[in-house]
Amino acid sequence: MKQKLGFTGWLYIIPTLLLIGIFSLWPVFQSITYSLFDFKLNEQQKAGLFINERFNTSLFNETILYTEMFLEEDMTNISAVEDQQKVETFLHEINSIATPFSELQEVIKISSDEREQIELLHQNGTALIGHLNKTYTLTHAETLPLIMEDINNSIIPANFSGLEGYGNVFSDKRIFISFINTLIFTVVSVGLELLLGLFLALILNKAIFGQGFVRTTSLIPWAIPTAVAALMWGYLYDGSSGIVAHFFEALGLVEQSQNLLLSASGAMVSTILADVWKTTPYMALLLLAGLQNIPASLYEAASIDGASKVKSFFTITLPLLKTSILVALLFRTLDAFRVFDLIYVLTGGGPGGATETMSIYAYKLMFGQTDFGYGSVVVMVMFVCVAIIAIIFVRLLGTNLLDRN
Amino acid sequence: MRSTSKVKLIPLGIIIFLFLFAMLFPFLWIFITSFKTSGEIFGAGAFRVIPENPTIGNYTTVLFEKGILRAIFNSFIVATVTTIYVIIVATFCSYAISRFHFRGKAVLLGLVLAVSMFPQMIITGPIYNMFYKLDWLNSYFVVLPYSTITLPMAVWILVTHFNQIPLALEESATIDGASRIQTLTKIVFPLAAPGVFTTAIITFIAAWNEFLLTITLNSNSTYHTVPVAISFLRTQFSILWGEVAAATTIVTIPTLIIVLIFQKQIVSGLTSGGVKE
Repeated sequence: MKQKLGFTGWLYIIPTLLLIGIFSLWPVFQSITYSLFDFKLNEQQKAGLFINERFNTSLFNETILYTEMFLEEDMTNISAVEDQQKVETFLHEINSIATPFSELQEVIKISSDEREQIELLHQNGTALIGHLNKTYTLTHAETLPLIMEDINNSIIPANFSGLEGYGNVFSDKRIFISFINTLIFTVVSVGLELLLGLFLALILNKAIFGQGFVRTTSLIPWAIPTAVAALMWGYLYDGSSGIVAHFFEALGLVEQSQNLLLSASGAMVSTILADVWKTTPYMALLLLAGLQNIPASLYEAASIDGASKVKSFFTITLPLLKTSILVALLFRTLDAFRVFDLIYVLTGGGPGGATETMSIYAYKLMFGQTDFGYGSVVVMVMFVCVAIIAIIFVRLLGTNLLDRN
Repeated sequence: MRSTSKVKLIPLGIIIFLFLFAMLFPFLWIFITSFKTSGEIFGAGAFRVIPENPTIGNYTTVLFEKGILRAIFNSFIVATVTTIYVIIVATFCSYAISRFHFRGKAVLLGLVLAVSMFPQMIITGPIYNMFYKLDWLNSYFVVLPYSTITLPMAVWILVTHFNQIPLALEESATIDGASRIQTLTKIVFPLAAPGVFTTAIITFIAAWNEFLLTITLNSNSTYHTVPVAISFLRTQFSILWGEVAAATTIVTIPTLIIVLIFQKQIVSGLTSGGVKE
């Protein structure tokens, strides 16, 4: 009998829940939030998530300082007593509004009353300066209107953009191209890996000798870091000294070895080939394990009944291997769909975006242009694709995946 | 009885040989290149099998000037720390999943599976900002978000292993008067040890190979791990393939040792959990 999970039982689970909660789930929700904002780290007015307007006190204080200084300097140019009084009143108004903020330097939230006051100050100031500029020749005639604008600029507008980012997806050609690239990469590489892997597994299953050695060898490409494999292939594909590029040229697959990584199709084929090299052995191992679970007696019975080898492959091997194939396909498809290291190191998404996958595009947006808002939108599109792929496979697998209890 | 005649063995042998050749050739070629001089690599000797003027200059440059040793050291620290804490946390969680009834168990398993399917890119942006605020960028704290990649996988493999240990053993221990802690330490852990060890090796390899989190969170080369340090050899102005080859050879050695020693555990871990890379 299995026991109920008591208090101590929860202690077993809590660390896992905490880690997954903090480093996996919270970031996912955070990414969803980012995707709703025009969030750019390198633009001061957008370097945060501002649902409400904020107030930049340091810019405001600086502006006030200059306003007071310049207006007082220009007092000598103003002759009419009436206008002098207007300026005095304005300076007084500024003073009363600015005093509460004078000690602050950071970006703060302000109440709507305070905001209205500041906007009113901006309006009054602009009107006053306009009037003075018409009537007199001021020393700071050109700078004062600009300074008045800065009063308004201290109010940071909200950068909440809602679903606008998702709307931009439809007019963004680059995301469409990167989606197609990802799709081509995934379908072709996983397809080749499955075919080659199955073929190898069938052969290894028959082989009497060398299974252990082949198994060990197969693990090496899988075990080395993808970045290392990518760099290795980068050398083999190199236009002048790469032996594989040279070999392709000799075979007539490319006109000149230099063009291999410089042409769109050449780069894509090269990337796919490197991925096939790295993961086919792994696929073969998974499928070999599945094959070895099929009892030999089934094949014996089939051959006694007169079934041909081809027929027993389609009626025994494939149906019994279905779960192994689907599980291997599920994980390989998801891995291929989010491919990053291989392409980042091998081609960097080039030439001209020909191998730019969605991961690479999102990475460039977020860490190249610090556009976390739209970068997160791209990531969310990817997330939805991954979810769809996963759901399709889990449906095909039925309960097989979660039935371990 | 199925019999395989000798004539049939020949094509099988050829295919296996071709496969092995395709798997090993890149390593072999890199190994050869690592002993060539720059002049030979970029000149007429690029495709020579035996280097004309063998040199170990590439190795000394990479080891003493390009900081590959530092990267190997970092990778070792990061992968070891990740493996230790992830295995401890995952062992307890998997034991509870395998042995207890509780509400939301299916949800927990589904969650673990779902997290292992996430595109990693989805957590990178928020984790970057989180680390920026905590002032954790360029530090070994990068091991914490490594849990996203390793923890679900470890839980998944370990649950399979715990399910294979018969419950009856623990029940009889309890009947004989053993406390919960005694049952765990005397019965469960010794039996689970091989499975835990297998999971640890797979976790170690996954952590060793991680790329995206390190390159975004630890831009300072003092904290670069092997995959990231290697990738920077490529993005320099000129690509010195001799050095790249030497670095690749050096960093492949630790992986090679792990694979050679623990191949049985790796294969059993891969096949029992149906895990991803």
